[in-house]
Amino acid sequence: MGSLFLRRLGFSIFALLIVSLLLFVLTRSIPDSPARIVLGDEATDAQIAEFDREHGLDLPIVAQYGIWLETLALTGDFGRSFTTSLEMNEQIADTFPVTMEIVFIAFIVATIVSVALGALSAFYRDSVVDYAARLIAVLGVSIPGFWLALILILAFAVERSWFPPGGYTSISEGLVPHLRSIALPCFCLSIFYLAVITRMTRSSLLEVLNQDYMRTARASGLSGRRYLVYAMRNALLPVVTIAGVSFGHMFGWALIIEQIFNIGGMSRALLTAINQRDYFMVQTVVMMFTIVFVLANLVADMINAWLNPRLAAAS
Amino acid sequence: MRFTDGVDRRTMLKIGAAASMATLAGSWVRNAKATADGTLTVALTDNPVTCDPINMSSHDSMIISQTIWENLLEFDVDGVLKPQLAQALPEVSADKLVYTFDLRDDVVFHNGQPMTAEDVKYSFEYMLDPAHKASRRPIFNRLSHVEIDSPHRVRVVLKEPYSPWVYFLTKHMGIWPKGSRDELGEDHFKMSPAGVGTGPGMFEEWKPNDYVSLVRNPNYWQKDKPSWDRLVVKIVPEDASRVAYLLTGDIDLMGAPPARDFAALKKRDGVEGETRGTFGGWTVFLMNNKRPPFDDVNFRKALAHAVDRETIAKRIYYGLVEKSAIPAPASSWWFNAEADKSLDYDLDKAKFYLKKSKYAEGAKFELMTNAVPYLLDAKDCVVFLQSEFAKIGVTVDLRLAERAVISPAMLKGNYEAMFRNIMSPGEATYFLSQNFLPDQFMSKVSGFQHPRVVELMKIVFAENEQDKLKPVFDELMQLLADESPFVWVGYFNATNLWRERVKDFKASRGLTMNVRDVALG
Repeated sequence: MGSLFLRRLGFSIFALLIVSLLLFVLTRSIPDSPARIVLGDEATDAQIAEFDREHGLDLPIVAQYGIWLETLALTGDFGRSFTTSLEMNEQIADTFPVTMEIVFIAFIVATIVSVALGALSAFYRDSVVDYAARLIAVLGVSIPGFWLALILILAFAVERSWFPPGGYTSISEGLVPHLRSIALPCFCLSIFYLAVITRMTRSSLLEVLNQDYMRTARASGLSGRRYLVYAMRNALLPVVTIAGVSFGHMFGWALIIEQIFNIGGMSRALLTAINQRDYFMVQTVVMMFTIVFVLANLVADMINAWLNPRLAAAS
Repeated sequence: MRFTDGVDRRTMLKIGAAASMATLAGSWVRNAKATADGTLTVALTDNPVTCDPINMSSHDSMIISQTIWENLLEFDVDGVLKPQLAQALPEVSADKLVYTFDLRDDVVFHNGQPMTAEDVKYSFEYMLDPAHKASRRPIFNRLSHVEIDSPHRVRVVLKEPYSPWVYFLTKHMGIWPKGSRDELGEDHFKMSPAGVGTGPGMFEEWKPNDYVSLVRNPNYWQKDKPSWDRLVVKIVPEDASRVAYLLTGDIDLMGAPPARDFAALKKRDGVEGETRGTFGGWTVFLMNNKRPPFDDVNFRKALAHAVDRETIAKRIYYGLVEKSAIPAPASSWWFNAEADKSLDYDLDKAKFYLKKSKYAEGAKFELMTNAVPYLLDAKDCVVFLQSEFAKIGVTVDLRLAERAVISPAMLKGNYEAMFRNIMSPGEATYFLSQNFLPDQFMSKVSGFQHPRVVELMKIVFAENEQDKLKPVFDELMQLLADESPFVWVGYFNATNLWRERVKDFKASRGLTMNVRDVALG
């Protein structure tokens, strides 16, 4: 287990380095200086060149990357945006918890509901429960998240006033307003992954239930509860892998959800940063997302190793 | 296979139902509408990059800079130049080189310090100093210096006659206390400009990607204004979200509503709306005259005659664009009806000019436009243009691009054709001088140069009276129609929607929303 963890951790750090380098190259491949945003379209070539020199944008990309990585490694400082003059660390502190909360709640809801639905669907195969669960799964993967978000805003914010049409209310302003502000975004974010994990749980569990060892376990008089745990432990391996990937993907989908629900989280900050050619912000946000993605997969691997000790032994 | 032992069906269903209902937590609670307090909430589409007027590029975001800072003159919502911090419009010397302003003596900055001529001189000199890298400095580079006659009288001295500068300052300048820039630094003006303006709103807070808030200036020189206690400028990029905010009352006022929904939205209960032509918003088909096939004036005129502006204005932009074939809004004093008519929609004329051109057999070019809309979505319009040009045998390849790609390509002349909506201060000369005079920041957009245009612009710069300017503009408009360096489609409107509690609001012909004069019901 320890060996597997170290191997995966090493791979994760390597992946982070590669992603950070690619980010540098890609963000600086945009055919114009961010000075155009800061100084406006009327800025002269001389003004733009001076801006680039002052901010080190005239250095080779590798040199810029080296400076950034060194600063980050030595001080933990993501830098300061030369477009908005904002400190990146402060921006992370302001926006990351918002996105993390929405994604985490959506993930937990999606996982719990989907595993329950998938299990019911498999155990009661070809029953009404199964058909209902499969219908939910099909709808969940078929309905575009942005469309669902707009429909929910129209139905529950504009027409009925049950929820606010957008925005994020901090928990310090009250638990109920806070929950109301994140309910629709979390629901919209969770529905696709709920469907995917439900389908995965069902198919995986059906496969396990048809195995000889499950028939043997049943024949040997295993109690219902223990039988369920036994089946689920074997069926959850691919589900955990999918869930780990889904957690990372949710940060990507959060970009659309935050945009539609006008939530000032990290995904929305990324979109603004792209529009404003704010290199530091793009780098910072994508790095944070990559770290989350890599960590989620690391955790999924560890859970899988715990569920199936043969994986750890094989490593 | 059925599972019935251990955990019964009812228990399993309860677990599933409970987990599902968890996703709807809070849905029983009703939303309290925005209360009718003293807060005016305005929604914008773009996240501002700065609050500083000398570096502000977004005409939407100027609501922030123009509420914090003021200028000697203002461009009012009807497009009329009026005194603001000056007592009256300036006296202009006979040689058109000296503009004398008498300043108001009842103006104090947000920090309590009275405004004097020293502050005006300091503000202009700061902006004009190349070391301070004000992005708007190039449009003021014909200004020489500012002289002080008395504590409340200044003279702005020009290097050469240049009448439009008084319009430009209304958008791209501000007056701040003497020494404040050096004392507080650039970031203060950019991100948290407390204490340095004279306007009706005083900076309170900027939460990036969320809102900028201002509070009422209790010492504002217009004693009964503003009527709001707090102004929240909220950033809501999505059209649908902005509309939802308005309908639920979470915002009071919005700009740039979706064109196709505007007419229906303004009829909704509790919602009002207005759309008015701007004096500076080009809806334009840009052509690089240095590149084929646009290097032939007959080809350019063929395209100019092939554009059905009426359909674009009415059907594609739902009346939110005022059609015009020349660089003048139909409602402006410098509009030349004959020049406009000379480029009417006529496919026979289009085919005639195409045949006269060296591209008589037809031509093919790439037409770029913004993937993400700026001010108005252009994507439907370029598809329409593609089909219109196909009728005369011209093939168009459409290409969508981000602003990060499209703006530099335009300014450097690295493109063939573009369709864009672009905004300038609401007067006649800004785009003309920037596009068609040599060595301006937009000179490479068309690559078009004409000695008579240069002569006419020089005459325009040296004259302040509309009566004398009209014949000059008539000639200029006809010349530009004859040469068609661009194909002008029209001028887009300033369009706003607001809740009925907002009284006395008018859409501004300068596009930027003016919230100083509104009252809250």
